[in-house]
Amino acid sequence: MTWTLARMEFTRLMRTPLAWVILAFGLFLLSWRLLEALEAFTGLTIGPATPGLTSYLSLQLYGFAAVLILFITPLLTMRQFSEAFRSGSYCLLSSAPLSLLQILSGKYLGVLAFQMLLILMPLALSLSMMPGTALDFGLLAATTLGLALLSACFAAIGIYFSTLSETPGLAAAGSYGTLLLLTLLGQDSLRNLGGLLHGLAWPAHYLNLQLGLVRSIDLIYFLLLSLFFLGLALYQLDRRRNA
Amino acid sequence: MEALLKTTNLSRAYNGHKVVDGLDISLGRGEILGLLGPNGAGKSTALRMICGDLAPTGGEIRICGHDLLSDPIAAKQQLGYLPERPPLHPDQRVIEFLTDAARLHRMPGNRIDAAVQQVMQRCGLEAVDSRLIRKLSKGFQQRVGIAQSILHQPSVIILDEPTDGLDPAQLREVRALIRQLAESAGVIISSHILPEIQALCNRVIILQDGASVYSGDISPAEAVSLKVLLARPPKLQQLTALPMVTEAKQLHTDYFYLKLTPQADVSELAAQIVAQGWGLRELTPETLSLEQIFMQATAGEQIA
Repeated sequence: MTWTLARMEFTRLMRTPLAWVILAFGLFLLSWRLLEALEAFTGLTIGPATPGLTSYLSLQLYGFAAVLILFITPLLTMRQFSEAFRSGSYCLLSSAPLSLLQILSGKYLGVLAFQMLLILMPLALSLSMMPGTALDFGLLAATTLGLALLSACFAAIGIYFSTLSETPGLAAAGSYGTLLLLTLLGQDSLRNLGGLLHGLAWPAHYLNLQLGLVRSIDLIYFLLLSLFFLGLALYQLDRRRNA
Repeated sequence: MEALLKTTNLSRAYNGHKVVDGLDISLGRGEILGLLGPNGAGKSTALRMICGDLAPTGGEIRICGHDLLSDPIAAKQQLGYLPERPPLHPDQRVIEFLTDAARLHRMPGNRIDAAVQQVMQRCGLEAVDSRLIRKLSKGFQQRVGIAQSILHQPSVIILDEPTDGLDPAQLREVRALIRQLAESAGVIISSHILPEIQALCNRVIILQDGASVYSGDISPAEAVSLKVLLARPPKLQQLTALPMVTEAKQLHTDYFYLKLTPQADVSELAAQIVAQGWGLRELTPETLSLEQIFMQATAGEQIA
């Protein structure tokens, strides 16, 4: 039933203009970033010293893609619960023979499916370089994995804030706040705050994958953070029934 | 036969304030039960609990023998629910929405198309099947909501204000539809439009401050009461002297209100009046109207 619901959520999302606006703008901005990066890489000006094009794109293009996903995800997730609570369509799920876990994972996977389309974009753009140069596929796979894990994590945070409020705007604001906080915690100036707080920031973990380092500690970081917020969301859905 | 729906001592409190208090509902096949009450009496809360949208703080709900709290999946498969606001996805087409609703209720894939076609025909939605729900009028949206709740042929159908926003012609169609549904299922309707309940239901429960203050038939028929118009009115004592009359009141000069013994035969009374030569002109049975029941029950008065 989870998959049925996930498929329904995804198809429904693809029927909204929002999805297509996001996809169009995403592709436009990423292509722009690609051209910019190529110009810097091949131009006369001395670019940063990098081992090769793949490595350069994995930092520039995928770095930008991560920021893009950070801004897009709350727009997608705020619809999932907040809007359903507000319009009353949540009743359709709560009175259907589905468990809360099925409802949550169905909605979550629906968002993830859409994010996979976004992740395909920088991948396709990078692969379009194949005729001109040899690509490091291992590195590309690592970065793509990083971006996928990052998206899963952002979606979990967005979903949690979506279960908190009946106002989609508030849900989006909460997710943006949390995501930006998790970004800023990684600043070097905050290093003396303590290793744990600093380690909570995503950019450092993502950077390892962008550099081609697939370390289990980074994978565990993304998975734990996702599970933590999904757990909170499940708790919130149950509380809503009981409160 | 076990009741399709049975709640025992169903209660719900918000922050210690009781919204529904010890509600017992029993619904059998073929029944249309009306849930009445002033605004804020706990009707919607009670219905939301029965549908599993809200967890009760106490009591038990059984749907077709399945406990809603310990076996929610099996119980909810027998349930169709239309909340106060129809739960629609405005960006979908009617046919897509109904197909999704069928999938959510775990209908086998090969039966979905036929079920959707059938329900659209029953609810008069064939003409708008590929229109966006957002663009439908309120009456049509309401019908899509009803369609969604009966699509999977549930045994218990719960409709919260189902006739809201319908025009008189649609109203009649929906009433006929609800009667038809009750042939194979049990239906609960909540409304504050009394004539609506009177037209449809065979039983009512009236809620006041979360507790049931009246539960029973719409016109309790323990004692028959009549209004008679006499051309040559006798003295009041002469009327009370009749064997089948327990109580008599003079309403106007010529109008009398008579209450009969439970086994009394009305034709007998008529014969007596004629035999006395009082000149019977009018004889109307006085059923207790739903409005009277409602006003008396919610004002805390006892019903005769």
